[in-house]
Amino acid sequence: MIKLPALLSNLEKWITPISEFLKGDGLCKQNVTHIELALEEALVNVCRYAYQPGQGDIEVRYQVLDNHRYLIEIVDSGVPFDVCTLPTPELKACISERKVGGLGVHIIRKMADEMTYRREGDCNILRLIFQAAPKQNDGVTPFQPCA
Amino acid sequence: MEMIVRQEDQSVVVSVNGRMDAVTASQFDKRLETLMAEGALHIIVNFRDLEYISSAGLQTILATAKKLENINGEILLANLSGAVKEVFEISGFDTIFRIFDTEDAALASI
Repeated sequence: MIKLPALLSNLEKWITPISEFLKGDGLCKQNVTHIELALEEALVNVCRYAYQPGQGDIEVRYQVLDNHRYLIEIVDSGVPFDVCTLPTPELKACISERKVGGLGVHIIRKMADEMTYRREGDCNILRLIFQAAPKQNDGVTPFQPCA
Repeated sequence: MEMIVRQEDQSVVVSVNGRMDAVTASQFDKRLETLMAEGALHIIVNFRDLEYISSAGLQTILATAKKLENINGEILLANLSGAVKEVFEISGFDTIFRIFDTEDAALASI
């Protein structure tokens, strides 16, 4: 668990230790990058919007589940906000018609295998689950190396 | 993240390396703003040595493209691969920009 003030300047302090943990657990670079991307986008959303005006913390919880799955939870006590309700941005509009922004949650959806939100007490909890490629042939799961 | 800027005949080439996240993208944004203020019309971004980009970097590229389009300029992208290419594809950015396999190909297209 890593709990720090919700500031963009703390981004590396959440992401780097989790990346190192994932690499140490044998995840390939592609899987680690997918988790980093989803985590960054989730953290940036909270840093920018959850405590405006004001200040607060973000707690990141991470856990290894079964079958090469990894759980990441991003917890804040800011204004109630379910990011899962945001619509998919328009992805085909030309440069002049495309909106700047709105891609962060889309990237989280694409990178995570499961994305759910719940409100617990005063907290927003974004729960992300990632299915990683098997680390090695364990005799049960067919080995599928990262692309 | 580091940036190397090189002036060519009709364009400016910006080579980026490292990681472009929500913190470092603002440095990239400021550099592109400065180049446009100095009169750059055609900006080529070479992503060969960039290993990571998040939505903050994409927003900077789109915002710059909009500004350049208004003055008949253009941002061209070269050397996308790996995670950077994947983020461009899932965001639909691979269809709205001119993307080249090499910097030379981008330069030749101007």
